[in-house]
Amino acid sequence: MKRRLFIASSLASLGLAGCGRVKESLTNGPFRGALVSTEKLNDKVIGTHGLAREYAEADIDRNFRVNGLDTPSDGAYAALAKDGFRGYQLVVDGLVDRPQKLSLGELRAAGVKPQITRHDCVEGWSAIGKWNGVQLGTVLAMAQPKSNARYCVFHCFDRDQSGQLYYESLDLGQAAHPQTILALDLNDKPLDNDHGAPVRLKIPTQLGYKSAKWVSRIELVADLKPINGGTGGYWEDQGYEWYAGI
Amino acid sequence: MTSGKIYRHSIAARTTHWLWTIAMLVLVMSGLQIFNAAPYLDASDKSDPARRVLAFDAQEGDKPAGYTIVFGHRFTTTHLFGYTDDGAGAETPRAFPGWLTLPGPQSLADGRRWHLFFAWALFIAWVAYLISAAVRGTLRELVIRPSDFPKLLPMQMYYFRLRKEPPPHGTYNPLQKLAYTVVLFGMFPLLMITGLTLSPAVDAAFPWLTALFGGRQFARTWHFTLMVLLIGYFTTHLALVVTTGIWNNMRSMITGWYVLGKHDGVGP
Repeated sequence: MKRRLFIASSLASLGLAGCGRVKESLTNGPFRGALVSTEKLNDKVIGTHGLAREYAEADIDRNFRVNGLDTPSDGAYAALAKDGFRGYQLVVDGLVDRPQKLSLGELRAAGVKPQITRHDCVEGWSAIGKWNGVQLGTVLAMAQPKSNARYCVFHCFDRDQSGQLYYESLDLGQAAHPQTILALDLNDKPLDNDHGAPVRLKIPTQLGYKSAKWVSRIELVADLKPINGGTGGYWEDQGYEWYAGI
Repeated sequence: MTSGKIYRHSIAARTTHWLWTIAMLVLVMSGLQIFNAAPYLDASDKSDPARRVLAFDAQEGDKPAGYTIVFGHRFTTTHLFGYTDDGAGAETPRAFPGWLTLPGPQSLADGRRWHLFFAWALFIAWVAYLISAAVRGTLRELVIRPSDFPKLLPMQMYYFRLRKEPPPHGTYNPLQKLAYTVVLFGMFPLLMITGLTLSPAVDAAFPWLTALFGGRQFARTWHFTLMVLLIGYFTTHLALVVTTGIWNNMRSMITGWYVLGKHDGVGP
């Protein structure tokens, strides 16, 4: 019995001493690589298939929850908001043959369609909203992406306390999904400032943080690595998955 | 009672047993981390306070308090749930304490990554075990059959010491068979499926699956409930491991060898 106690206590002290090293290897070592591979595996196995469920008017959350970074209130955004976004132009550029600058009127004219879908936050909660907007695929087609374009990057007006601007990205397959839209209205009213006015992404097949608010520019790129932290998005740079289907 | 040693658990059974023990432990602790980000459960598709099943709440100020609210009934759970350890030596409003969440006191991003990695580990261990147990014939000895049902009560009486001898049975007694069958073919697959239905991409690909559980938030409630049930099983399992000869049981699950004796066929 004494021997067992000795073994148990040695194991326990070894465990404590090793804690720092274990933690280090878990954050940066091969285990980190395994975690990243898990994300790639999930994307391969689950991917983006089928259509998110569309709900009835009665299911809508009229008081749709506000989440994310603070509503931008300064600089270019404030100037645009003051004028009711009449001067807003969505820039579509990067690896495209025909760069675009689209006003809200032009976006609406490209054809809008409502969807009542569920918004699933990474935190765990869900809310249902009626989003009216233009399919992202339609807007990208207007700009004619070059053959080497693989991702579209959404540059946004909002920034965190350190000044880092929000951004997000999708691959062109996710962008072409019929329910991936640039939303202009929420619950039958133009987006208010807190919900991402005047244009936000809405992708109901992925978690909420992919649905970037306050989009100012869509840039087509071949590689996400050169942009900011290199992982394809604001939250991704802080450790969240780029593939947020799960 | 005969004496001697038997080779009780194959290398595959032992490996997968410890693999899913680790996986389950990490899954529970990283799952609580994820839960802490939205510390409530609803019996509905979207979040709906009117259909709230479980919630945690805190009162700050001079006399801080933590509350666990189950079906609208409020229980004071200060220091344990609701207002508890922040993982840095103080207490703060949070559902589950910092010492219970992985990989650290507060990290939703890493909690999710760990959870999804160990979910794959559990899935692989589960499939590997089922295949090896099917090939070796263990599965046939382990799965409960209708002929075991009448023996369940006598076996329970034996555990309660209201009966001298356990009812006659094979390698596993009828209660063991019931528990293992429920865990292997009920809880494990249901935990995996309800976990998957929390994913928007899975919901789009298999909308009927999410509907089957009553929607996304309801699936989250089931996922949590199954976790609690599994901890219940684990506690019973552990109690039996200890009371029916901890060293013999541990040896047989590490080396495979089990020494026959008074606890044969009663074990965990």
